[in-house]
Amino acid sequence: MSMLSSYLTLAAVLFCIGLYGVLTKRNAIIVLLSIELMLNAVNLNLIAFSKYGVQPSLAGQIFSLFTISVAAAEAAVGIAVLIVLYRGRASVNVDEFDELRG
Amino acid sequence: MDNTFFAEYAWLVPLFPFIAFAVLTAMGKGLKKTGAWIGTIASFLSLVLSLCIAGERLSGNAPDYGNQMDWITIGKLKLVAGFEVTNLSTLMLVVVTLVAFLVNLYSQGYMKKDERISTFFAYVALFTSSMLGLVLSDNLLTFYIFWELVGVCSFLLVGFWYQKPEAKAAAKKAFIVTRIGDLGLLIGLLLLFWYMPGHALDFTTLHNVYDTQSGAISTGITTLIALLIFVGAVGKSGQFPLHVWLPDAMEGPTPISALIHAATMVAAGVFLVVRTFDIFEASQVAMNTVAIVGAFTAIFAATIGLAQNDIKRILAYSTVSQLGYMMLALGVGSVTGAMFHLFTHAFFKALLFLGAGSVIHSVHTQDIREMGGLGRKMKITAWTFGLGSLALSGIPPFSGFWSKDAILTAALDKQPILFVVAVIAAFFTALYMARLFFLVFAGKPREGQHAKESSSVMTIPLIVLAVLATVSGFVETPFNGWLGHWLFPEGAEHDASGLVMVVSAAVGLLGLYIGWLTFVKGTIRRNAISDRAPGLVTLVARKYYIDELYHVLFVRPLQGLGKVLDLFDDYVIDGVVRLTGHGASALGRLNSRLQGGQVQTYALTALISIVILVVAIAGRRFW
Amino acid sequence: MLDDLPVLSLIVLAPLLGALIVLALPSARSNWLRITAIIFTLIPFILTLWLFADYQPAVGGGAYTEHSTWLSIPLNQEQFNASVTSLKLVFDYHLAVDGISLPLLLLTGVVSTMSALASVHIRKRWKTYYSLFLLLLTGIYGVFLARDLVLFFIFFEVTLIPMFFLIGIWGYYGREKAATRFLIYNGLGSAAMLLSFLILIATLGFSAVEGAGGVNLLFGGNYDTILSNLSNPAAYANVDNDLTHQFGLYLNDQTKWTAFVLLLIAFGIKVPIFPFHTWMLRVHTEAPPPVVMIHSGILLKMGVYGLIRFAMFLFPEQLHAWTGVIAVLGVINILYGAILACVQTEFKLVLAYSSISHMGIVLLGIASLEEVGLQGAIYQSVSHGLISALLFLIVGSIYERTNTTQLSELGGLARSVPFISGVLLLGGLASLGLPGLSGFVGEFLSFLGMFGSMKIVTAIGVLGILFAAVYVLRSILNITYGSLPEQYVGMKDARFIEALPMITLAALIILLGVYPSILTDLMQHGFSGFLEQIHTRMGG
Repeated sequence: MSMLSSYLTLAAVLFCIGLYGVLTKRNAIIVLLSIELMLNAVNLNLIAFSKYGVQPSLAGQIFSLFTISVAAAEAAVGIAVLIVLYRGRASVNVDEFDELRG
Repeated sequence: MDNTFFAEYAWLVPLFPFIAFAVLTAMGKGLKKTGAWIGTIASFLSLVLSLCIAGERLSGNAPDYGNQMDWITIGKLKLVAGFEVTNLSTLMLVVVTLVAFLVNLYSQGYMKKDERISTFFAYVALFTSSMLGLVLSDNLLTFYIFWELVGVCSFLLVGFWYQKPEAKAAAKKAFIVTRIGDLGLLIGLLLLFWYMPGHALDFTTLHNVYDTQSGAISTGITTLIALLIFVGAVGKSGQFPLHVWLPDAMEGPTPISALIHAATMVAAGVFLVVRTFDIFEASQVAMNTVAIVGAFTAIFAATIGLAQNDIKRILAYSTVSQLGYMMLALGVGSVTGAMFHLFTHAFFKALLFLGAGSVIHSVHTQDIREMGGLGRKMKITAWTFGLGSLALSGIPPFSGFWSKDAILTAALDKQPILFVVAVIAAFFTALYMARLFFLVFAGKPREGQHAKESSSVMTIPLIVLAVLATVSGFVETPFNGWLGHWLFPEGAEHDASGLVMVVSAAVGLLGLYIGWLTFVKGTIRRNAISDRAPGLVTLVARKYYIDELYHVLFVRPLQGLGKVLDLFDDYVIDGVVRLTGHGASALGRLNSRLQGGQVQTYALTALISIVILVVAIAGRRFW
Repeated sequence: MLDDLPVLSLIVLAPLLGALIVLALPSARSNWLRITAIIFTLIPFILTLWLFADYQPAVGGGAYTEHSTWLSIPLNQEQFNASVTSLKLVFDYHLAVDGISLPLLLLTGVVSTMSALASVHIRKRWKTYYSLFLLLLTGIYGVFLARDLVLFFIFFEVTLIPMFFLIGIWGYYGREKAATRFLIYNGLGSAAMLLSFLILIATLGFSAVEGAGGVNLLFGGNYDTILSNLSNPAAYANVDNDLTHQFGLYLNDQTKWTAFVLLLIAFGIKVPIFPFHTWMLRVHTEAPPPVVMIHSGILLKMGVYGLIRFAMFLFPEQLHAWTGVIAVLGVINILYGAILACVQTEFKLVLAYSSISHMGIVLLGIASLEEVGLQGAIYQSVSHGLISALLFLIVGSIYERTNTTQLSELGGLARSVPFISGVLLLGGLASLGLPGLSGFVGEFLSFLGMFGSMKIVTAIGVLGILFAAVYVLRSILNITYGSLPEQYVGMKDARFIEALPMITLAALIILLGVYPSILTDLMQHGFSGFLEQIHTRMGG
């Protein structure tokens, strides 16, 4: 049991670092990287539960593989969007973009 | 011939003037002179029919006739409209139609030059019709309806010269002050409706309930109802403290003052008490109130009358005072006395007003200080006015003497103090009439005044009324109680009292004599009192500052309350509404600031919300 | 001849058809638009008159009832036991007339026609104006005729939108604000009403029909179903057991009170009851006179009608428990409105506050729960509708001539426009309750009814008629009496098109004042059944 809790703790720490980065960093690249951190924290959880959970099964690890591939795709799209934005604005600072404003 | 042949057609009496009103209103201004004749003829027809009814009933053995129809039926409740011909209503019919006809005739001359003459006659016709309806009503609801209608006609006629600010104010005052009384009557009527067995409001049932089923309505409620009804009478009949409208109502054309504010409508209050007298009789408190209010009004108004200079206002206060006499008579239980005085007063007061109108018509002023010596130029007016003054002052053998005598006798019998008050008031009455008469008709003519006698259409009514004012007292004298027996067959006897006759005649004569000494002979200086007690004279001349008092006591606070409530409405109630509106939009602005387009803010909001949610869900476990 | 026609539907739909025709007409032809609009207000008016002539109080309006299913949504019936073959949500198109709605229908007919005539004062965008006007009429007729809660709600909402535009486009300077306020207040009222209706439908709109294969269950807003379910002790809503709890059918006292209070608020805003009255002052002052005629003359009465039809008929126990509250609210309305009317300097505000005062008398009539009082309430509604329509008609005519309704700037009009002044005086006298005119009968009956149970409160309320005399005379004498300011010399008196509605309304006011049986006989059986029912329920 103690193994599980240490994994979960690590994942929580990773998640919080990621969340902190997402909320505070102005540079969009760092924000994207922080999101990767959060995703990896989730992956870690999935794998930990698949090994030490109540009903251990491979499903968790398979899910984490899915997540990694989807995250890769997401990062690719995110970077592409960033590049387009950078071309338009010459900046990657998140707080300069408020196109979502209603 | 059947004894109720004419009585069955009594509903036609008010209908004639009503038709005249309808025709005059529909035709409008085009009629002019013709319109005046339509009104006059209608009132003449009413008079003829009333006389026929009276003739039929004079024998005294004609049965009462009444007829009802359902006005509103709601479930088991029925509100009834109906008319009833009794000796009492017949007497009133004759008085009203007679005075109305004479006033109509007189107005032909008096209002000749007014461009709204047909409107005037239309209003007069409507008034006559309503007044006759009131007289014929057989139940309190119908009575109330006509009661209000005469009130509104009075309002319309007081404000007839609507361009004058005084007329406008007087009309408003007349309506609102009498409405206070009407309010009392209405509440009394509602009370009566719920307490009467079978929700009956007709006078016959009322009489029976109090006559036979005594105790059907408790004494407390009876007193309350009686007092509320009396409030109505006080308003209409200009009794203290609601008398203030009547003198102001003199802004109306003078024939109106004669018809409405002397002979008929103002007497309706007395008539109301007479009709509901059974309720009053059942409550000693109510009777005492009526007597005291009446006596007080009689002397109170008489003193004010002494210090006025407007010929019509003197007569108006005199009317108030005489109505006080009638109330006094009712309060001491003499219904006959009240009705008798109402009857004679209608003639001599209408005569005095019409005479005053004739004077005003001729000299174009109402201030008696600007008149004088008119007796030589206006002989008929002067003579008839003199007869009226004698009747009002209670000089034998004129009508006023006999009716006042009846009241004084009854008062002495029941309440000697009130008798004294009434005698003093009688003295003042004679005094102010002497002052009025001598200042106007005696002395030297004023320079530059081209007074001349009015046309015959105006003097004939004066003569007729003068004859009536002289002789009408003989229907009921201490030696001959015909009127009382005719009106109230089961009613009380008229006690003869030599003392009262002597006292009453003596104070009348004394008043006239002092008046003669002061204003003709000059033995007593005119300003003998005002030199010694100027404050007193001012107090009386300003009508004891009652108007001012009411202004401070009621008008101002109400205006203030209105203003305060207005602010309350604007700032508190509407303020809350505005606050809600502003609150909503402030909330909206706050939320829109959150939607700044900053992804990180959104994420932070989401985070905080999740934390709150988790804390809330987790927290629920603990309590 | 006319017996086979769906009269009630015609009444409701004729104005709608008129609105469509108006939309199809070229907008430049103002006269065509005007005449079309007048014709299509006349059609329902004539039909209501025909209803009036044919109506037999003892029978009721049964012959005219129109009932068909309008919307039916099948629901999953498996949650019930096997004997239930179907479960449906059913909304009906159900129109009916009775002694309570008929007087108000007649009032609608009269006032709308007069308002259509008075719309000659409207100076712009006739096409939009008349189409909205006619749409509004459809809503009003629908409200008075609908007997299905959902249908009622829809018609009620239909009146809001055209009113919003009529105020907001053709009003005076503060029109937009007034329109917004109107919409927000009435929207709130509608929300309360909707909530209450949903409670009623969910618990009481439940009826079982025995079919071939078993029981068919119906859920719907049928007023009659709801009414009979409420008064039937065996109905599910009144049975407190596990089954009714499981399906949320049981209507406990608390919910009843909630529904009742919501209805009171919903219709109280419309009436309006103090302190929900400020929106109505704005509408009175800012809307164009013909629209105010409709608003003050008819729309406020929708509140009264709703109070009687829903709050009172459905929840007599609650109303009975609250008669004191409602009577006191009524007295507050009477005195508050009257005293405030005494100090206003703008004639339209005087009339607005006087409306508040008069609606207080209606509340007293309702609170009496006596037949006299209830009939008085309806009578007073009709009478006030006619009187305020007349007064606002005159306001329109005066404003057209003088460009002001400030009391301080008016005076002496009796000299230049005697006809208008005379009718104004008549309207004022009717408003202060002069016997012989309609106002008196309504007031008297309401007071009479209320006086039976609460003497002192009513006596205080009666004071209102004194203040009525004060504010009416103060304002009207200020306008018509006195000397004529120079700028008003030589004004023209009423044209025929203005005089016609004035005379009609004045004649009706006199007719109702002299011969009230014409209306009270109609209402004769409108309340008696209800009262018997509550007396047995209260007595038991």
